[in-house]
This record gives sequence, structure tokens and C-alpha cells, in this order.
Amino acid sequence: MSFECSDHLNYKVLHLTGEVDLSNSSKVRRCLLDILDNGQSVIVDFSDLTYIDSSGMATLVEGLNAANKKKLTLAIANANGAPLQVLELTRLNQVFNLIASVEDIKE
Amino acid sequence: MSDNQTQSKTAQEPSKDQVLIQVNQLDSAYGERKILKGIELSVKQGEILVIMGGSGSGKSTLLKNMLGLMQPTRGEIIIDKMNINTVDKQQMLKLRRTMGVAFQGGALLSSMSVGDNIKLPLRQHTDLDESTISIMTRLKLELMNLAGFEDLMPSELSGGMLKRAGLARAVIMDPKILFFDEPSAGLDPVTSVELDQLILELRKAMNMTIIVVTHELESAFTIADRIAVLYDGEIVKTGTVEEIKACDDERVANLINRKPREVQIDGEKYLSRLTEGAE
Amino acid sequence: MFSNIEKLGGRTISVIEELGRLGHFLLTVVTSLFSRPFGWKELVKQIAFIGARSMPIILLSGLFTGMVLALQFYDVLARFGSVDLMGSAVGLSLIQELGPVMTALMVIARVGSSTCAEIAIMRNEQQFDALTCMAISPYRYVMVPRFLAAVISIPLLTAIFNVIGIIGGYIVGVFIKDLSGVAYMQTIIDTITWSDLRMSIVKSLIFAVIVIWIAMGKGFYVHLEKGVSGAEAVGRVTTKAVVASAITMLFADYIASSFLI
Repeated sequence: MSFECSDHLNYKVLHLTGEVDLSNSSKVRRCLLDILDNGQSVIVDFSDLTYIDSSGMATLVEGLNAANKKKLTLAIANANGAPLQVLELTRLNQVFNLIASVEDIKE
Repeated sequence: MSDNQTQSKTAQEPSKDQVLIQVNQLDSAYGERKILKGIELSVKQGEILVIMGGSGSGKSTLLKNMLGLMQPTRGEIIIDKMNINTVDKQQMLKLRRTMGVAFQGGALLSSMSVGDNIKLPLRQHTDLDESTISIMTRLKLELMNLAGFEDLMPSELSGGMLKRAGLARAVIMDPKILFFDEPSAGLDPVTSVELDQLILELRKAMNMTIIVVTHELESAFTIADRIAVLYDGEIVKTGTVEEIKACDDERVANLINRKPREVQIDGEKYLSRLTEGAE
Repeated sequence: MFSNIEKLGGRTISVIEELGRLGHFLLTVVTSLFSRPFGWKELVKQIAFIGARSMPIILLSGLFTGMVLALQFYDVLARFGSVDLMGSAVGLSLIQELGPVMTALMVIARVGSSTCAEIAIMRNEQQFDALTCMAISPYRYVMVPRFLAAVISIPLLTAIFNVIGIIGGYIVGVFIKDLSGVAYMQTIIDTITWSDLRMSIVKSLIFAVIVIWIAMGKGFYVHLEKGVSGAEAVGRVTTKAVVASAITMLFADYIASSFLI
């Protein structure tokens, strides 16, 4: 699993590659919360994410909650395959702002 | 380090046929009492296998053997390329962390709340933050329709709720393999159907390999990719739902058609059993 | 006639099997003492249950035991004209013998029975199987905290029993039999030695192990009790555990006394 941050407009894009699970979700958590602490809204890019488990989902939920508290936004871009099925199974697809791609973010 | 060693959980086409659990020539006994004879079974990655059988067929004993809770008298059980009875302790503990077991009646620890019970594996085996653990637990409780029951004690739950709490605990670490002992026993039909759907969804979303031990026909036909029928300690037939329904082996057919076993009466012997001891 | 011999042989084999199981159980508990992670929270909980909440019963039984001892000794010592020795008589009896034994009996009644039942119910409900399948050792998680809590609490409870018993004797001696309180305490200080105290501690430690080991061990193997199951089996092993730990404790008392006196 690897992740990298880039910028798009005034958002931070967190690009996840590979599989997020128990062994690495805490790293993602740290990064996500740091971005939000710096006052930036986040788009989490799922394009190259092949798998995400409950710990990864819980991390994103925590991020969403933190974002809402700080009046920032957290969106998920390009959810597909297994990660999308997890979003559906956990009904979190009705909670997160899901967009087709990073560019589709509303201002 | 652990990233490289983590096995990929995404379903690639070739691994769909990969055998995850293999039982070879298994015999099992309690002391002198022989329960299982020559059991042969294989479970593929991502499949749902239902083990069916009447009372006394040896279902529980087979499950116990597969879980490593008892030693077979002959044969071997290979899970994820490891022989569970010869592998060293550390390896076995590592393997157990990828397996989840939902016991009949839930088997929750009575001294802790439902929430603490579900969080137990996470707290013991991971370094996850408490906030992550809390959200993970609530996600699973929501999935099981147990939202809000986190702080209750097991003694305050009904039988059906205990089962679902036990299932939540079994899947809290998103295991590769899930064992489910009698999911429908004691549940009302509606909850039973919901549970069946949940099992199917878990397999779909998490690519879980699921082994269900049950005697409920409807559930078995709904969820099973394959069914193994156990009778008197032996597997008499393994096959898809269609193959099992079409099977003309008497023992299988009786189970499927819910025919009671015929009791043969020997008139004289019957009379003497009834009147034994009377003058 | 042969069927009786068969039965006897069968019983003997069962007893030996059980001793083997219990021995293996104790060994596993002791080796698990060093397993990580250590359950501090559970240990504290158990010390509260075994130690702290046994205080009322220990204080009461200690007080009455001391008082009765004083009455008894007064009667005997009066016949030899040595009533001023009462302090040390009461003190020595408590410290060497009655403190450890009575404390152990009170703990068996309260903790031995409930712990055995608790463990037996856990076994019946497959809670130990569940722990094993979660890669959590039932020995480390459930047995070790209770074992350590007993080994820590029971010697402390014994010491408290001894002290309150001596006070009980004082009350009877001074307020009922009109003895000198100073003399009472002085004889205690004069006659009781470190080896007496050591005997008290050693005995209480041995008794602690016996009580908790038998209570947990019998509960743990409830599923192997022949002829019973469910609630009836829980009741049966609990009764057996209480009786077995009491008798074993008294036997150990004799052995320890013969070495230490």
C-alpha cells in the first residue's frame, strides 16, 4: 500500500494505491487527520485502491466526522470494485460524498 | 515489512479456484467412541460450503477438528497451506487471526459488555486507535441490526441478538475464513432470512470463504455454493444445491425430503421390550 | 463380584485421569504467568473480588474465632494457673494454625464456589473455545488473573484474620475475664517469633494455590463430568471443588505443620 498527496484547486488529494487493511490503516489515519488539522478539505482518490477493510473504512468515517466538525469537506473519488462493494455493504455510500473523479468536485 | 507479506485479498480469477481448506482422510473419536470416518473435504477460496447432517452425524465434531479445538485420530487438515495439527504455535496463532468463528449461542464473555466483547480481538491483536476500534465496532453492529446495543451486557440480550453479536465479533477483523455454527437455530424465519442475506453480502464484499454448519434446509439451499452431507460420521455426498437435490442416495434424499427414519418393528421383540420385568 | 472390581478399577482410572488433568492444568497456568500481554485490569478486578470483598466475612469470622479461642484458653490455662499466658496462646494458635485454615475455608466458601461455577458456565457456553479461536489463551486471559489475585489476596486476608483474632481475644480477656491488656499484648510480643509468622505466610500461600487451582480446574473440565450436563454439571463440580479444596487444604496443613513447627 502506498499513498501520496497532491493538490487540486484548494483541496488536498489523498491518492491511495493497493490495499488498506489492519496493518497500514493507522498511517492513512495519521495523514488524513493531519491534512484536516491544517484546515484543508480532502478528496480521497480510490482509483488505484484494490481493497479496503473495516479499519480503513472506520478511518475514513473518523475523517469525515472531523471534517464536518471543522466545516471542511471530505469526498471520495472513483470508488469501484471491491471498495465500492464495501461502501455499499456498510451503507456508507449514503453517507460519503461520492464523485466519479477528482475533477468532478464541486467548488 | 507486513505490507509485503500480506496476501492479496482481491479476487483474481485464477485464485477463485484456489483450495483454501483441505481435509484429508479424517478420523475423529472421543476416547473409544468413533465419530468421524474418512472425511474428505475441500473448500475453495471465496466459496460458501454448507455442512449438513442430522443429529449425531458428527457435524460438531467435524467443526471442532477444523477449528483445531480437537486432534483427529487420523488424517490431516490443511488451512492456507498449513497443516493445523503439526504447525508451530506462532504460525497457528497467526492463522487464527485470519479466521472468525461464530458459535451457537454467541459464546460472548459474560463479564463484559457487548461492545467490549466485539472489540476484544482488536484490542488484543492490533495497535489501532480506540476511535478507529469504536467506529469499526459500530459499523459491524449496524450491519447486524444491533445498533445501540453496545453497552448492554450479554445477559440482557435475547438468543437471536447474542448470535448476531457473536457474528459481529467473528467478522470484526474482516477474516479470510468465517465458520458459522448453526446460524438459524433458535431464530425466527424473518431474522433467519436476513442472516442468510448477510452471509451472502459478506462473501461478496469481503471475498470471505464461509463454512456453515446447519441442519436448516432452506438456509442451506439459499446460501450454499456446495453442500456436504454428513451421515453417521461419513460424508455421503458433496455437490452443488442441484446435485444434492437430485441425489438418489437414500440418506441424502431423506434429509432433503424431511422423511423420518423408518423404525422396523419385530413384533415379538417389541412385545417383550414392553413387558420386560412384569410378572 | 467381578463387576465390583471392574467398577473399582474404573473409578481408580477416572481419579488418576482427573489428577493428571488437574496437574497439567496447574502447570499450564503457572507457565502462562509470564505470557504477554498481561491483564492488569482483570487482575485488579479479581483482587477486588477475592480480596477486598472477602473482608467483611474475614473480619467477622476472625473476631469471633479470636473471642472463642480466648474463652477456651482461659478455661484450660486457669487449671494450670497460667492465665497470663493467654495472649501468646491465642496469638500462636491463630498465627500458626487457625488464621491460615479459617481464612482458606472462608475463601473456599465464597470465592471457590463462585469461581468454579463461573468457569464451568464459561466452558458450557463455549467461551473458552471462542477465546482459543480468537488466538487468545484462556489460561493467560482468564486463569492467570484469578490465580495471582488469590496468591496476593489470601495471605493478606490471613494476616488480617490473625490481627482481628488477636483483638477479639483481647476483648474477651480484658473486658470479660479481667486480664491485663498490657500483659496480653506483652506475651504476644515476647513469644511470637519470625518463624511463626513465616509459617503463617507459607501456609496461606500454599492454601491460596490449592483453593484457586482446584476451583478453576474443576470448573474448566466440567464438560468431562460423566453422566451430567448443563446446570446440573455446574452444580456438581462446584460441590466437588469446595469439598476437594477443603480436604486438600487440611491435608496440606498437616504436612506443612509437620515441617514447620
